[in-house]
Amino acid sequence: MIPNRISRRTFLKASAATAALLSLGTFELETWQRLNAEREGEVKVTPTLCNACSSKCGIKVYTKNGRLWKVEGHPDHPYSKGKICARGHGLGTLAYSPDRIKEPLKKNGEGKFEPISWEQAYQEIGQKLKEIVAKDGPEKVVYVEDPRPTGKFYGPRFLAAIGSPNYFNHLTVCSNARDTGFLHTIGAVPGSDIANSKYILFIGRSYGDGVRPASVQALVQAKENGAHVVIVDPRLNNTAPLADEWLSIRPGTDLALVLALSNVLIDEGLYDKEFIARYAVGFEDFANKVSSYTPVWAEKITGIPKETITRIAREMGKSKPKAVIEQSWRGGFGCTYANSVDTGRAVALFNALLGNFQQPGGYIFGKPPQLGKLDPTRHPEPGKSSLPRIDQEFSLVDPHNGVASILPKKIEEGKVKAAFICQTNPVRGYTNPKVMADSLEKLELMVVIDVLMSETALVADYVLPEPSYLERDDVIEGISGGKPAIALRQKVIEKVYPHTVPADQIFTEIAKAAGIGEYFNFTLEELNRALLAPLSISLEELREKGTIVLNDPVKMGEVPKLKTPSGKIEFYNESFKKAGFSPVVEWKEPLVKPEQDSFRLITGKQSFHTHAYTVNLPYLLQITKDYESERLWMNRKRAEEMGLKDGDLVEVSSSEATSKIRIKVTDRIHPEALFIPSPYGNYSPYLTLAKGVGFSYMDHVPYRIDPMGGTSMIHEVIVKIRKV
Amino acid sequence: MARYGMLIDTTKCIECFSCRVACQMQNGLPPEESFIKFYGQEEGTYPHVSYYTVPVQCQHCENPPCVANCPTGASYQTEEGVVLVNEEKCISCKYCMVSCPYQARVVSEKTGVVEKCRFCIEEVRQGKEPICVTTCVGNARIFGDLDDPNSEIVRAIAKKKAKPLRPDLGTKPKIFYVR
Ligand code: SF4
Ligand code: SF4
Ligand code: SF4
Repeated sequence: MIPNRISRRTFLKASAATAALLSLGTFELETWQRLNAEREGEVKVTPTLCNACSSKCGIKVYTKNGRLWKVEGHPDHPYSKGKICARGHGLGTLAYSPDRIKEPLKKNGEGKFEPISWEQAYQEIGQKLKEIVAKDGPEKVVYVEDPRPTGKFYGPRFLAAIGSPNYFNHLTVCSNARDTGFLHTIGAVPGSDIANSKYILFIGRSYGDGVRPASVQALVQAKENGAHVVIVDPRLNNTAPLADEWLSIRPGTDLALVLALSNVLIDEGLYDKEFIARYAVGFEDFANKVSSYTPVWAEKITGIPKETITRIAREMGKSKPKAVIEQSWRGGFGCTYANSVDTGRAVALFNALLGNFQQPGGYIFGKPPQLGKLDPTRHPEPGKSSLPRIDQEFSLVDPHNGVASILPKKIEEGKVKAAFICQTNPVRGYTNPKVMADSLEKLELMVVIDVLMSETALVADYVLPEPSYLERDDVIEGISGGKPAIALRQKVIEKVYPHTVPADQIFTEIAKAAGIGEYFNFTLEELNRALLAPLSISLEELREKGTIVLNDPVKMGEVPKLKTPSGKIEFYNESFKKAGFSPVVEWKEPLVKPEQDSFRLITGKQSFHTHAYTVNLPYLLQITKDYESERLWMNRKRAEEMGLKDGDLVEVSSSEATSKIRIKVTDRIHPEALFIPSPYGNYSPYLTLAKGVGFSYMDHVPYRIDPMGGTSMIHEVIVKIRKV
Repeated sequence: MARYGMLIDTTKCIECFSCRVACQMQNGLPPEESFIKFYGQEEGTYPHVSYYTVPVQCQHCENPPCVANCPTGASYQTEEGVVLVNEEKCISCKYCMVSCPYQARVVSEKTGVVEKCRFCIEEVRQGKEPICVTTCVGNARIFGDLDDPNSEIVRAIAKKKAKPLRPDLGTKPKIFYVR
């Protein structure tokens, strides 16, 4: 039925090539209302999960006549709490992107991609995989992912079925350093109860840039309750409106600040003595060590006035246990500097000094929902591989993360022959892109599963297209927290490109072809029902609700048994000692230092993009264009000294690369640092919108790995700039 | 009859653009066209500097020069005080765009039709709130009836001493800002 009074825009839109974007355009108001009334029942709302970043917020997707209309936050989901960010809205159009991979591709002898049938893809990949396992051993096969729900189940199971232990994900450039520091000192990475906190210190982490909607809402609530918020960052990031002070710290020196804050807490007896006596080991060793890390000492290193350090330590001591250094993810110590693991240790221990564990306004050790599993009598479970991991030299790193940036080295050494890479872009995101791409190219078998043709897909032998997140079901997502929850990503719209296949089926078919099909003799639906079984929630109920918070909250005030070897907070740490590092955290310089005529290049998120993943989406890229957000931030005074003006084109050169970009002159950044947002510099010719926008931070990151946390130390980069 | 207005608290806005994109989707706008614009403000010099942003959209002026200057009556005000454009009557003369002191109007390059924020009146008449309000990640936006002394918005305007942008222009905007 064609309405007779649709607006001019709708006509034009329908005739334009981009008509697929939204079939219902803007109608003149009365028409819109009439149509809306006439078409009642045609608007459908489906609860599902966002895919715009790793948070995977609960969303409600509105469709009209089977096409996407708009997206809303799911009110029950612990990360969205009814709201979603710009990425969550803008990603909705992914399904309709003309840049989608539409059928399986195979690289031919000339390095060009040719479409092949799924059957051919499964058979050839399965056969090749069998050969490699037989010839070189199963440990030569690796799996890399973001992680996202289906991959998190099927990937490791696939590896186990082959007999390989080599699981990796993107945390090597996200939180590996922090995780390593936290796991070995307090046994886990807790969350912060921001809403109830009275004093909140952020180190590099910015709620206004790496947006998780519920976190921002919690911070707003804390502010309304009168909380004091401190941003420690070389850059005044976009959490600025919600902050009371900004400490413009010299990049790479956060550890010195945290040690000095600890010094004051201990020196002035402001720490929670009872808590430490009851739950910690090795406190004396730590206290002795930090006695020399005074605010006077830290002022010289960090550039933050000693009075400020003392005042903040006192204020936090007085506000404890409702005071917290937020645990961050990438932030200032997730993967950024050579001393990031130690910063992570120091942050975990500082929170322990505040006695804030399992206290309102402090650190909360969440728990996961108790999901079920497949019946092993009907669905044989592959045993875990007992072979050593290829990154075993990183003994402190959690094998659930792995050190993905070790791949180039191990490929060169002949220790990796095949890689399966699911919905992640290691070439652009994990370390120096050239190094990663050149090495991946040498693999005997490289399979990429994705929706768009990423830079990683460019170097693959086979590219297998998935339906986008709105066109498929995924494995149920269990969400740990103070109140555990479960959530389901489910199909909202019909497949736009019929020849795309979801990852669960891809793994199942390749497994069959590789002779390990017996471990995949179930459907996604059977799996999801098995996962739900112990919760007495039916799949139908979960489909209807999308997100269900379980009535199983953690007990506040009760510190859970910590998962460290001693079961206690380890101020003195045997694991670090065994691995050849100092058992007590101590000051360590960052790896590199800028000179008078150079800068440290730093990077971070923007609220409307995730990694390189969202830049090709029209609504999100347009924000970049309208606000020229791809520019390089430079301190106003330094710019003036160099005779540079806002908007000038400069050349940025490091040991690794040269890039050209216009500058944004601002007072919001430390004079020794230059800031470039992380997502830009896509070069895949298949990303027709994103290609050539801005430059890639990673191009300038030398190929190096931190021996403690296995991270790419992405902020250890010195650059010079000149006007062009 | 309600008289709708909005409060935008810039001390809570993190310039996340969620409202912008949500509005574009809701209204079927192409990416290049947006009803909400952001005016970032940096104040002070390093390291004593602050930053905030001011989201600006149609202010639904009570005394709207855009309506007064529209030669065809395409721009009009509803009983609820919401300023709208009738696309059928718009001849794309852009008089309204020129007369709007808030630069709130956008023209579709493809069709020439002039548009702007409609306070999501379709949603509001169904008892919902504008989508920029429901999606606001920083809880920076409040929508409601300015004539109801007990509404959240009226109380918030009083409590936070919210003021319209450039009241001196005499257009009597119905969006109030907290700074
Ligand atoms: S803000 Fe501009 S477009 Fe909106 S009512 Fe006022 S004058 Fe008209
Ligand atoms: S009220 Fe509606 S139309 Fe106006 S800016 Fe908000 S979302 Fe857009
Ligand atoms: S959604 Fe809210 S916080 Fe985000 S930019 Fe819009 S007004 Fe600001």
